[in-house]
Formats: sequence, structure tokens, C-alpha cells
Amino acid sequence: MEDRPCALLLKFPGTNCDAETSRALEAVGFVTEVLPVSALKPEKLVGVSLVVLSGGFSYGDYVMSGRIASLVTEQKIGATLKDFRDNGGYILGICNGFQILTQLDLLPAGSLVENASGRFQCQWVKMKNLAPKSPFLSRCPDEFELPIAHAEGRLVTKDAAEAGGYVKSGAAALVYTDDVNGSFERIAGLTDESGRVFGLMPHPERFMKARDHYDPDWNGGAEGRGSGYWLFQSLFEAIKEGEVSSE
Amino acid sequence: MSDPATLNPLERIAEAPADHYRVLKISDLDGDRLLELSKFMKLSLSREDMLAIQAIYAEWKREPTDVELEVIAQTWSEHCKHRIFGATIAHEVDGKEETVNSLFKTYIRDVSQRIFDSKPGFVLSAFHDNAGFIKLDDELAICLKAETHNHPSAIEPYAGANTGLGGVIRDILGAGKGAKPIGSLDVFCFGAPDTTMENIKADDVIHPLGVMRGVVRGVRDYGNRMGIPTISGAIQFDDSYIYNPLVFCGTAGVIPIKDIAKKIEPGMKVISVGGRTGRDGLHGATFSSAALDTDSHESDQQAVQIGNPIEEKKAADFVLAARDKGLIEFITDCGAGGYSSAAGEMLEECGGTIDLDQVKLKEPGLVSWEVFISESQERMVLAVKESSLPELRKLADLYETELTVLGTADGSGILKVTHHSNTVCELDCSKLHDAPTRHLKGRWTKKTALVEPPLLTNPGQALRDLFTDFAIVSREPIIREYDHEVQGNTVLKPLAGATGDAPQDASVLRISGSKRLMAMGVALLPEWGKTDPYAMGAACVDECVRQLVAAGADPERLAILDNFCMGNPDAEEELGALVETVKGIAAVAEVYGAPFVSGKDSFYNYFETKEGPVSIPVTILISGMGIIEEESHVTGASLRKSDSLLAIIGHTASDLGGSVFARRHGLENASVPATRSDEAWACYRKYYEAVKKGYIRSAHDVSEGGLAVTLAEMAFSGKAGLEIDLCSLPMDDDASKAAMLFGESPSRLVIEVAPEYLAKVADLFEGLPFAALGRATTAHANLHIEWGKETLVNEPLADLKSLWKTGLARYY
Repeated sequence: MEDRPCALLLKFPGTNCDAETSRALEAVGFVTEVLPVSALKPEKLVGVSLVVLSGGFSYGDYVMSGRIASLVTEQKIGATLKDFRDNGGYILGICNGFQILTQLDLLPAGSLVENASGRFQCQWVKMKNLAPKSPFLSRCPDEFELPIAHAEGRLVTKDAAEAGGYVKSGAAALVYTDDVNGSFERIAGLTDESGRVFGLMPHPERFMKARDHYDPDWNGGAEGRGSGYWLFQSLFEAIKEGEVSSE
Repeated sequence: MSDPATLNPLERIAEAPADHYRVLKISDLDGDRLLELSKFMKLSLSREDMLAIQAIYAEWKREPTDVELEVIAQTWSEHCKHRIFGATIAHEVDGKEETVNSLFKTYIRDVSQRIFDSKPGFVLSAFHDNAGFIKLDDELAICLKAETHNHPSAIEPYAGANTGLGGVIRDILGAGKGAKPIGSLDVFCFGAPDTTMENIKADDVIHPLGVMRGVVRGVRDYGNRMGIPTISGAIQFDDSYIYNPLVFCGTAGVIPIKDIAKKIEPGMKVISVGGRTGRDGLHGATFSSAALDTDSHESDQQAVQIGNPIEEKKAADFVLAARDKGLIEFITDCGAGGYSSAAGEMLEECGGTIDLDQVKLKEPGLVSWEVFISESQERMVLAVKESSLPELRKLADLYETELTVLGTADGSGILKVTHHSNTVCELDCSKLHDAPTRHLKGRWTKKTALVEPPLLTNPGQALRDLFTDFAIVSREPIIREYDHEVQGNTVLKPLAGATGDAPQDASVLRISGSKRLMAMGVALLPEWGKTDPYAMGAACVDECVRQLVAAGADPERLAILDNFCMGNPDAEEELGALVETVKGIAAVAEVYGAPFVSGKDSFYNYFETKEGPVSIPVTILISGMGIIEEESHVTGASLRKSDSLLAIIGHTASDLGGSVFARRHGLENASVPATRSDEAWACYRKYYEAVKKGYIRSAHDVSEGGLAVTLAEMAFSGKAGLEIDLCSLPMDDDASKAAMLFGESPSRLVIEVAPEYLAKVADLFEGLPFAALGRATTAHANLHIEWGKETLVNEPLADLKSLWKTGLARYY
């Protein structure tokens, strides 16, 4: 039997980062299945350690980003997904996946709305790691860069105090060092209370190798790895450790 | 019933019997009436074409149906058939007469064929498929295709550009048995963003700023949603593009070599996958084969379609999954001409029946010809084995796309179309592709003269001025709207340097499953073509090749595409310029051994304004792909280290023509620099040796703005200032200071080299134009250029960069 942990990546019509995200997961050691959502059923989560919602424009994102995908997910596996988390499963949402997660009641309340610039923004950003103990970020440095590519990545909460609370509680696991898109408290990524659900707007799968950096002389890359690699590696190690301790 | 011959075409159609198709009695019409009928049906067929059709039907002893006429019109349209590139042209250059029997055969196909023959096994497919393929490694091939979508973008910029990109992506999906799209390019020509309304001499013309914003958003919303990185591009601004903006969209793909060959055989099923068919996009192919006028903005809206990238994404996922399972025998996209072109191309030799009753419609009530030629987006047409259908249906369900069986290939050689139990079209496919050869006239007379260069009293000020020119300013605001990193393979990005905002020439993609990489570049120089189209063609090929080579591509493994746009081909001077351009690209392509593997042309880019017709200048876009042997060869265009030395490769001519400097200083008809292709080719091969040895830290091509702009752009990486001395610059004896600093002679590269390697690099270039230029420095952050003891330029890089960065941002 396969002893590598299994990741299940849900592919909605319009999901378009599935190939590189699956490649990134495989690179750190996961067995990955990319599953078109038409074939999604609760049983598909059996034996899976990690559910991934990758980047893209699910159903075109013409309504609100991630809205239809969250409804489809809720309808198909809503309760199962929460049980999966409660039973030790991990959930990662990247970009559009983060937008979907915020609407599935799996992360602290907040919405990802249009960037303050009113534009789609494809650029590299620097972030602070505020949750170095998070299973998603344990191997990441205190500050690192990743590329973003989104039009709706501005995290807003019902008021500024709520976002401030996320920073204090550690729910705001990743914050931009600069005001990139108008996010409250510059929040780039959120994690839930269990610590096993994580959503972020930047794309770790696009910075797996040091050479992916825009500056060929970027010197932050131990072993030729990019910062995104360490995010996936953190997750892989956390899941492997969990498996060992539960055996 | 009245005598049909006395009726006008409108009455003729009104009196014809059936409700969903009509038999049109054309046998007794004279040329005038035939032309009238063509115009009424918007067929864009000439009198000669109509007479030829009449003759074919006379031979068959019957009358055509409206469906058949539409099919022939689509097939013979300039858009699908490139009849001007196939025409016989009586051409006159500076008084000397010559005859060109097909520009395509003489200068594109034959030149490329000689190159194919000299590099066996490199070009795997060219000209006949949706895109040309070159060999990447033993397993994989890459391809590139570029198209224009000018007329739709003039009328509805967002939707026009949107579907322009959507269409070329389908070309890639329909290349071979289905290639995976991996990167896109977009190149635009617009009127200047600061054009005043008084300078727009016609009603209902969209202001260049509106066109630019609409077009960029159109490309953004299709490319980003499809998950294809938009990595390469260019924009040219000129008043002549106010009425006819040009929008080129291109996409590259990758395919397993075993999946390139495709064949349809009797018994196979013809299926359609993706979107449904509606009245949107009627007559797009024929519409793009005619000129625009103010009325076009109202009456031709029907020809512009709305894109739905998610529909296409689902179809793409389906196609690639089906190809990997070996379920596709033949595939092509549904582009211009809709099912009629796709099925026509597919059944050209084999023949078969298409049943229009099976077509899934967006709305009821379409008559036969509408169903058959509608250019509704997001549809792919495949030929598959009947036994594969159950598995294909499962895949279609999995990816939530619609699959419809349209018909069957039968080996009869006849394209038969049925609708509501009637045969509405029955054409011998071999006749379908025989359009009459056109006969045209071209003329070109030399326009350039010796022009005294201006006295350059303040070169620093001239340089600052150039950095505000729309031809040079940073495209960053637009580039950031495109996702250029999706798929996670963009190694050399459109913006680079220590702060990720410095310019880059070619872009480079990793190819999943290979250790080799792909470089992609584009070049166009419409300003040159106004006075010297031959030099423009030559320099465009040179610049594209130079960009690819600069990025680390093997100069022996490049392929290029030619995309032409021009105004009125019936105007002798304009056609003459086209002929000269074609000669220019062919001459340099042959020296560089860079074959054309695909191309496209767009005519009738002229507009009837209140002050008469305005044509665009003949515009050639050369786009190219190159193979990079390994990742360590990838070379950017940004200065990397503060201890580096800089050198220049290539010769600087005294000519200032075509340059941004000449335009800003009103030097009219100044001679344009020639491309010294033999020397350049030797330099590129030496440069590649230097790359392989690891000598080159970075390299930037000298293009718009000349050497001074190139140096500043390299240093926009923010890593160091530059100390430059031009005293040993290889150049014409009579080159002025302006030519040294701002001339745009082709074939030049500025390279950054580690101090310990400069002597070795210089040895490599023994006997070729090469000179050390100076060094990077941490002593200051200026661009300091001396010529002997004279300081020509000493400008803070931060100031120049600020001008460069904000120039377009103000308007976008």
C-alpha cells in the first residue's frame, strides 16, 4: 500500500492552477489526485490527508469569486469536509481556493473583495510569517516572498477590530509587509482554530525553485528551493508526523 | 411569379421557396448582378469570384443553395485563403519591373523549405496545420501561432480582443491532435493615448485610450481565466492606427511528437465539443476581408462575438484528457467560417455528411446557412472512431462540456450537409479550395534621403525626452494585469531586475517533462516601413531572432511567424510596400536559418474618414520561438552585479531613420539602417558560445531609443550605476553623436560580463564588431557616458527610471 500521504485537489470548471499545484505537492512527497468536481462524492475523502483548492477562476468567478464553487462543494461534501477537518484532515486553499474557503465557513469570518486598485495584480510580494508554529508555515522563514495574481484579494472583515483580532490571535498567519491590495491589517493568509485549515492569496506553487524568482541572483534559496517549497514541505512534515504519532 | 432575372437580389431571395434554405438562380445573372448579390449577402466575393462560381455551377448543371454560396464565400475569403499572398503581382521597384507569382510561395514557403531541408527533423510541421511545430527534444514538440483580430477590436475593443485570444488558443488546441497552450503573446498598435478629439476625423470612432483599455481587459479576462500566462508583447503608437487599431494575439503550445500527425478516415464520426451555436459571429471571416467605415460601427456588430473563457477552459481540459487517452484522430478549431470551415477542412479529401439537426443551438430558428457558418466561440471539431464515443461522452460529462455528433466521414470526397431532411449543400471538396488567382499591381520608389543629423547640444536632455516617449515607456501597468506566472513555468518574466520592474526582451518558459526551455519574442517596427519597408522586414526578423538568442536560445533552433497587416491592397504603393517587406523578411530569415512555420495576414485596414481614406502603414509582426538547451543558459536583460564589465556586439551605423529620436526631432525620410545579416549571424553564434561557457551575466538588445536607452534600461535593475566610454564603439566613420547614442541600428546587443571573462569573450569575437564599453559601479547611481574626454550623458538612473515608469501609467 502507498505509504505517502494522499492529497485530493478539487478541480472546478475554470480551476487552472491544478497542474502546477499538483506538481508542487508531488515534489514534497504527496500522492496527488486531481478530481474534477463532477465526480466529487463524500467517499472520495476516504484515505485522504489533505484537501486542496487551487487557484483559477471557478465557474468564471462572474458572480463573486468562489461563490458558485463554494455552493457546489457545500452541496456535494459540505458536512463530510467539516468531519474531515475535525478528524485531523488538512485543508489548503490557494488564491481562488482561499476565496472558496472563506465562503465555506471553514476559516475566520472575512471576505475577499476587489483589490483597492480596482485592477488585476500580477506581482511579487513580501510577507511576514506570523504563525511560525502553523503546520503550513513551520519551515518558512520569518519573511519571504511569493507571487500574487488576483483581482479580488482584499480581505475585509466586518470592522477593523475584527481583523486586528485575527492578528492578535494568530489567525492572520501571513501578512503583507506592504499595502498590496487594501487588505485589512495587510492580511495575506488566514488559518482556523484547529490550525489545519489555511487559505492564502499568494501562490506558493509558483515559487518552488530559487530560479523562479524574478531576480536571478536572489540568494534566499537554500538547496535551490524557492519559498513556496517550504510551505508545502512544512505541510508534508506535519502530516507525516501526525501519522506517526497516531499509529 | 415574376421573371427572376429582372428581380434585384433582395426580391430574388424573398421569392425563393423553402424556409430554412434557398436555391438561388444565378445562371442567368451578369457580372453586375452577381456582384450585387455578393454585396447583398455580405459574401465579400469579387465579380471574378462570382463569375467563377457561376461557371462551376454551369458545369454541374444546377443552381447553388444559399448554404453553398456561404460556404464558398467563407472558404474563398481573404481571411481563410490568403488570396493576396497567393496573387500574381506586377511589381515595380524604383522603375524596375518584376513579376511575383505568389508572395507566399516565393518568399515564405520556398525560403522555409530550404531551411527545413538544411535542418532535417527540426521542423516537424509547417503551414498546413493550425500551427507549426518544431522539435523540443526526443519526446516533445512546441508550436506557436499568432492571429490578428483588428476589425472586431476596432468596433468592440473588449470583445474583439477577448475572442481574438480565445481564437488563437483554440488554434493551439486544434494543432496536431491537440497541443497544450503554455504561453501567450499580445501585440497592439494604437493611436497615441493623448490623441485629441479634433484629430479624430470620423464619427463613431472609439478614442485610442478606450480602445487600449478595452483591448487589454479583453486579453486579460480571456488569458487569465484560461490559465495561460501572457508572457510576451509589444505596443506601438501612431496616428495611423486611430481608425484601424491592430490587435495581434499569439499562443504557444506543447505536444508529444507522436500526437502531431492526424488523419481522418471513412467511418469516423465528426463531433463538436464546447459551446453552442448562435447568431453571434455571422460573417466574421468575410467582414474581416473588407474595409471599415463609420457605418461599420453599427451594422457589423453582429460579426463581433462575446467570449466565454470558462466554456473554452472546459473544452480544453476535455481535449487534452481525450488526447492523452488516444481518443482523438483529428481535431481542428472552429474559427472563421465556423463549422463550414472546420468540417470543410476536415472533410476536404475524405468527404462526409454533416447533419445540422444535431447541432445544439443557443436560440431556435436559425436557418441552415446561419448554423453552418456561425462563428460562435468555444467550439472544437474532432474526428473520432465510433468505438471511442462512449469513453469520450464520459470525459465530456467529467469536464462538464457538451459533446455532439455532427456527422460521419464517408470517403466520397463530397461535403454533404443535411438539415430538416433536405440536402442543403453538396459540394465537391476539391473544387471548394480552388479560388481564382488574383492579379494585382505593386509599386515602390525609394523614399529616404541623406538627412543632416541635428546638433546634439544636450544629450542628457534628449535622453530624458526619449524616456517619456510612448514607444519606450514601461508597459508595466498593462503587464501586471496579465497573469504571467500561471502554470508555474515562467523563468524569464516580462519584468525583471532586482526590484522586478525592469524591462526584459524575450520571455522564457520551462516545459514540463523536458529539461529544455522555450524562449518567445516579438518584433515590429512600423515606423521604419513608412520609408523603407524592405529594411523594416529585415530588421524585424533580426530583432526577434536577436531577442531569442540573447535569452539563451540556440541560434540553430529557432522558428518564426510572419503576421502582416496593411491597408488597401488595390493601392499600388501600399501593395508595393508589402512586397518589399516580404522580401526583407525572407532575405534575413534565410541567412539566419530561421524558418517561417506559420503566418497570417490582415488586409483592408483602412478607414473612410471625412478627409478621405486613412490606411495603416504596412505592419509586420515577427514573433518567434527558440529552444534553450538547459536552464543555466537562460540569460536576462537586467544588470546583475556591481563589479561587471559591459561590452557591445554589433555595428553602429550613421543612419537615424526609423528611430524614436528621428521622429521626436522631426527628421523626415532619414535613411534607415540596413541589417548586416551575415555579420550579425556570425555574432549570434559566437554569443551563444559565450552563453554556453557561462561568460554572459545578462544581455539586452539595442532597439527603440538606441544604445543610451538600452544601457539605462539594463541598469534599471537597480544594482549599480554605469561608467561608459564610447571611444571604441564599432561604427560608421561618419556616425554622429546622435547616431551613437540614439540610432537604432539592428543586430546589436549590450552584454554584461564578469571581469575575469571579458578577455575570453573579446577573443571569441575576434574579427567581428565588438568593443568593451565600460563597467558597472557602486560609486554613483548614474548613467555616465563619455566619448573620449567629453561627457555626453550623466543622468541619475532613478530620474530616468521614474520618467520611464510613469509615462504610460498616467494614461492607463
